[in-house]
Amino acid sequence: MPGADKETDLTERIEAFLADLKRGGSGTGPLRGSGEMARETTYLLRRITAQARWSSAGDLMEIIRNEGRRMTAAQPSETTVGNMVRRVLKIIREEYARSRGSSEETEQQESLHKLLTAGELSEENFRQHFVHLKANVIEAINELLTELDGTTDNIAMQALEHIHSNEVIMTVGRSRTVEAFLKDAARKRKFHVIVAECAPFCQGHEMATGLSKVGIETTVIADAAIFAVMSRVNKVIIGTQTVLANGGLRAVNGTHSVALAARHHSTPLIICAPMFKLSPQFPNEEDTFHKFVSPHEVLPFTAGEILSKVNVHCPVFDYVPPELITLFISNIGGNAPSYIYRLMSELYHPEDHKL
Amino acid sequence: MSSRGGKQKKGNVTSEQEEEEQPLQAVLVADSFNRRFFPISKDQPRALLPLGNVAMIDYTLEFLTSTGVQETFVFCCWMSNKIKDHLLKSKWCRPTSPNVVHIITSDLYRSLGDVLRDVDAKNLVRNDFILVYGDVVSNIDVSQALQEHRHRRKVDKNISVMTMVFKESSPGHKTRCEEDDVIVAMDSKSKRVLHYQKTQGLKKLQFPMNIFQHGSDEFEIRHDLLDCHISICSPQVAELFTDNFDYQTRNDFVRGILVNEEILGNQIHLYVTQDGYGARVSNLQMYDSVSLDMVRRWVYPLTPEANFTDQQGQGCTHSRHNVYRGAEVSLGHGSQMEENVLIGRDTSIGANCHISNSVIGNNCTIGDNVVLDRAHMWNNVHVSSNVEIHQSVVCDGAVVKEAVRLNKQCVLAYNVVIGPNLSLPEGTVVSMHHPEEEEEDDDDEFLSDDQEVGHSKDKTRQKAFNPAEVGPEGKGYIWKASMNDTEDEELAQCLWGLVLNPDPESDSESEASEESQDRSRSVSPEIDDVNAFQLEVLGTLQRGLEENIVCDNLVLEINSLKYAYNITLKEVMQILTRVVLEYPFQQQGTQLTTLQYTGSLLPLLKTWSPVFKNYIKRAQDHLDCLSAVEELFLEQDTHQTAMVKVLMKMYQLEILEEEAILKWFSTGATNDKSRQLRKNQGLQKFIQWLKEAEDESSEEGE
Repeated sequence: MPGADKETDLTERIEAFLADLKRGGSGTGPLRGSGEMARETTYLLRRITAQARWSSAGDLMEIIRNEGRRMTAAQPSETTVGNMVRRVLKIIREEYARSRGSSEETEQQESLHKLLTAGELSEENFRQHFVHLKANVIEAINELLTELDGTTDNIAMQALEHIHSNEVIMTVGRSRTVEAFLKDAARKRKFHVIVAECAPFCQGHEMATGLSKVGIETTVIADAAIFAVMSRVNKVIIGTQTVLANGGLRAVNGTHSVALAARHHSTPLIICAPMFKLSPQFPNEEDTFHKFVSPHEVLPFTAGEILSKVNVHCPVFDYVPPELITLFISNIGGNAPSYIYRLMSELYHPEDHKL
Repeated sequence: MSSRGGKQKKGNVTSEQEEEEQPLQAVLVADSFNRRFFPISKDQPRALLPLGNVAMIDYTLEFLTSTGVQETFVFCCWMSNKIKDHLLKSKWCRPTSPNVVHIITSDLYRSLGDVLRDVDAKNLVRNDFILVYGDVVSNIDVSQALQEHRHRRKVDKNISVMTMVFKESSPGHKTRCEEDDVIVAMDSKSKRVLHYQKTQGLKKLQFPMNIFQHGSDEFEIRHDLLDCHISICSPQVAELFTDNFDYQTRNDFVRGILVNEEILGNQIHLYVTQDGYGARVSNLQMYDSVSLDMVRRWVYPLTPEANFTDQQGQGCTHSRHNVYRGAEVSLGHGSQMEENVLIGRDTSIGANCHISNSVIGNNCTIGDNVVLDRAHMWNNVHVSSNVEIHQSVVCDGAVVKEAVRLNKQCVLAYNVVIGPNLSLPEGTVVSMHHPEEEEEDDDDEFLSDDQEVGHSKDKTRQKAFNPAEVGPEGKGYIWKASMNDTEDEELAQCLWGLVLNPDPESDSESEASEESQDRSRSVSPEIDDVNAFQLEVLGTLQRGLEENIVCDNLVLEINSLKYAYNITLKEVMQILTRVVLEYPFQQQGTQLTTLQYTGSLLPLLKTWSPVFKNYIKRAQDHLDCLSAVEELFLEQDTHQTAMVKVLMKMYQLEILEEEAILKWFSTGATNDKSRQLRKNQGLQKFIQWLKEAEDESSEEGE
C-alpha cells in the first residue's frame, strides 16, 4: 500500500532528523547555521503537512505540535526548531480562519473579557473540514521558506545604513549573518574589523579569514583584550543564537563580556538576528537554557592526572540582558529591544508559546 | 530534502563507498569472555549493566550509529536471552532505525576469536567493518580513521588488515586502565604499528632492533595512548582468525600479525585521536571513572539529559555543577547535591543528605542524613538513614539498613541486604551467590541460566547468612573471587582493577585472573618458545642416549619440535650446539674439571655427529655453530681450554670445515672478551695447525 509506504518514509525522515538534532553540535555549537536548521525544520513540517493523515486543521495542529515537542526535546538549545514549529502552527491557524471567512484580527486580539469567557473554545474551532486547506497551508509554508531564504540578504542590505567609512567595528566569534553584513558593507565602504577570537572554540579565527579574503582590514584579538580595545571601537556588531522574549540574547560564550565592555565605553551594540531566531522563551527557564559540552576544549583530555582533581565545565552560551543592547537588525528592519514583545505577538500565536 | 541533515554526517562515509555500494558494518561483541564483573555479571551480562542509568550496550550502539554504521551484528553468549530482550525492546530494533541490528547468539563462543571465526564461517562481513565490545563508551568520530584505513587499502592492496583507534591521554589519567596500558612503537609517517606490548607489570621493555631498520626514518614509541578497543578491520581479519585457531583475543591477533609480518605481509595501523572520548569498561575501576566522565560530560553528546535511547520517562534535566534530575525526584529538606550527581526518575531522597559524584538509579529510596560519595546505585535500591557510602557499587534491589558504612570499593550485588549497624571493610563484595557455587560452575559456566538459578536456590537454602559479615538482618555472602587460595586482595583486583595493589610482584604469580596469564605470555613469546624448545631437545638427546636411538630418528624428532615451537633453522643449530656442549654439566653437575668435561663430552660428540651433520650444511651454518660454541665458552670461562679440544674433535668428525673455523677466527671477534678468547694459546696453536694442514692439502691437491 503506497500510503503506508509514505508513512514509514515520513517517520524515518523524522527519526533521522531527531537523531541528527541529538548528535548535532558535538562541541562547537551548531554544526550548521541556524538558518539551515530553520529551513530543514520547515521542509520537514511541510512534508508532514503533505503526507500525514489529517482531516481538519485541529488534527494537523496536534500532529505538528507532537512532532515539534519531540524535536525541541531532542536539542532544547536549538530554539530555531521550536520557532519554526510555532510559525507553521500560526500559518495553519490563519489559513483555517481565512477558509472560514472570519478575519484574523478577531482571533489575534485577546481581550481580557475574551480570556475570561473563552474556555476551551479554541480546539473546538478547528474541527471543520475544508477541501483547500491543505493546499493553502502548503502554499503559505512555501512563502515562509522563501522568506527564510532571503533573510540573510535582507539583513545584509541594511549594512550601508549602519556602517560608515573608516569606522572600527568589533565583532565576536563567527556569525554567518554578521559576515554577510560586513561583506556587503565592504563593497562600498572601507572600514576596519576587530574580531575577538571567542575561546575556547575560537570561531573568530574562521570569521577573520573569511573577512580578510574579501579585502576587509581585519585584526584578531584575544578575548582578554576586548576591554582594552573597546575604547577605539565605533560599533560592536554581533550575531546571536537566540533572541529571547525579553529582548535579551542567548549568544555564544564571551558575548556578555563584550556587551559589558561596550556599555562601559558607551559603544553601540548592534545585533544582527533574523526573525526566525526570535523565541518566546524567557531566560529564567533554567533547564533548557544552558548547554554544556565536553570540557575537552577547556582542559584537554591529555592533561592527565589533574582531570581527576578538578571539575571542568564548558558552557556554550552567554546570556546578554536587554539593557546592554542598542539595536536589533532583523530581516524586517531595525528594532529596539523593548519592541521585541510586539514582534513576538506578530509572529507567534500566544497559545503556541508553550508547545 | 528534509532528511538531508540525517545523511549529512554519513556523507563522507558514503562518498567513499560509492564504488562499492556497501553499507558500513560493525561487529559488536556483547560478552567480555572473562569474569571480571563477577558476581555482578552472574545475574546480568556486562553489556546490560547500567552506566548513568543506561545499559552500556546502548552507548556502544549509539556510537556505532552516529558514525554511520548501517548494519550491526551483535554477538552474545553469556545470558544472551537478556541481551536479546533488551535489544528487541530498544530503539535499535524499531523499523525506522538507521542501523539494522542482527543478534547472533551461541553458547559456544569462548573468546573474541570464536566470534570472528563465526563471522568468517557465516560470511557476514563483505567489507571493512568496525569491531567493538559491548562495553565501549565513546563519541569518537571514526570516519576519519575509516577513510585513512580505506585509503591505505586502496594504495597497497589489502596489506593493512586493521586500524586500531587510540586516544591520546598521558599516563596517570584516571580513565586509563592499567591493565590495558600498552606501549606502541610505530612508524610516524605511515602510522604502521611496529611493536605492541602490554606494559602491565613490566619493569623492562624490549624492542627488537629489526623493527627500526626498515621503513621510514622516523619512529615513535608511545606510552600516552588509551586503548579505546575500537578497531576497524578488513574482512581478512575474520579469515585470519579462522586460519589461526589459537588466536583468542585481539592481543593475540596483533602480536601474531606483527610476528608474521614478513611472511604474511599483513600490517596493522594506528589511528590516534585527540578529540572525542573512548574507553572500555573493563573493570569496576574503569566503571567508576567512565561513569564520572559521562556525568562530567566528556562523552557529549551522549549525556544523561540527551536521552539518546529514546525511552519514555528516561529524560532528565541538567543544571549547574552537573546535577541531573529525572522526573518526579523528591529531595528532602537540607539535602545537598554538590556536584556531578545523576538521579533517576521516581527516586526520593530524605533530609540532610550529602551527595556528590554519584549516580542513583530509578525508584530508589534514600533516608535521612545519608552521605554518598562516588556511589553508583542502580535501580530500586533502598538506603535507610545515617548511611555512608564511599566509592561503591550497589546493584538493583539491594537494601542498605540503618547506620551502615560502606568503605571504598565495596560491591553489593543484586538483592543483597546489609545491616543494620555495620561497617563493611574496604573492598568487600557481597552477593546472594554463595562463593562455593563458583567451583562447581567453573566448568559449565556457559550453560543456560535456568540451571544456574536452580542451582543457587539450592545453595541458598543450605547455607545460612553470617550475621558478622552482613549484619543481623543481612542477606548475602561475602564473595571470594575463586576458591583456589586467592585472597581478598586479588578479588579486589578482579573487580576493581589494579589500583588497590599497585605492586606488580604481588599479583604476578596469580593464576586466578586471565589477564595475568595473558601477560606472562606476552612478555616475549619467542624467548619462551626457545626455552621450551631447548628443554625438549635436551630431553630428546637424553632419551636417545639412554635408549640408544638411531641418530636419524633423533633428527626427525628435533625437526618436528622445530615446527611445533616455530624455531628457525639457525636457532635450532645454536640450541643443539648449546645443549650438547652443556650436556656434561647437566648430567654431572657444574663442578666438573676441564679434564672430566672434555672426557665426557668428546664421546658424546662422536655419537651425535650425524645429528650435527644434518643441520650444519652451508657455510653460514658452520659460522653459526662456531659462534654458539664461542658463546658457551665465553660463559663457562673456566673451561676455555676445553674449547680447542671440542673444535678439534668437531673438525675431525667433519662436523666443521677448516675454512669455516679459519674464517670464524679471523672475523668473528666483536668484543674484548671474544678477542681475549682468541688469544688462548691452545686455540692459536690449533689454528696454526689448521692453516698448515690446509696448505699441505692444497699442495697435495696440486
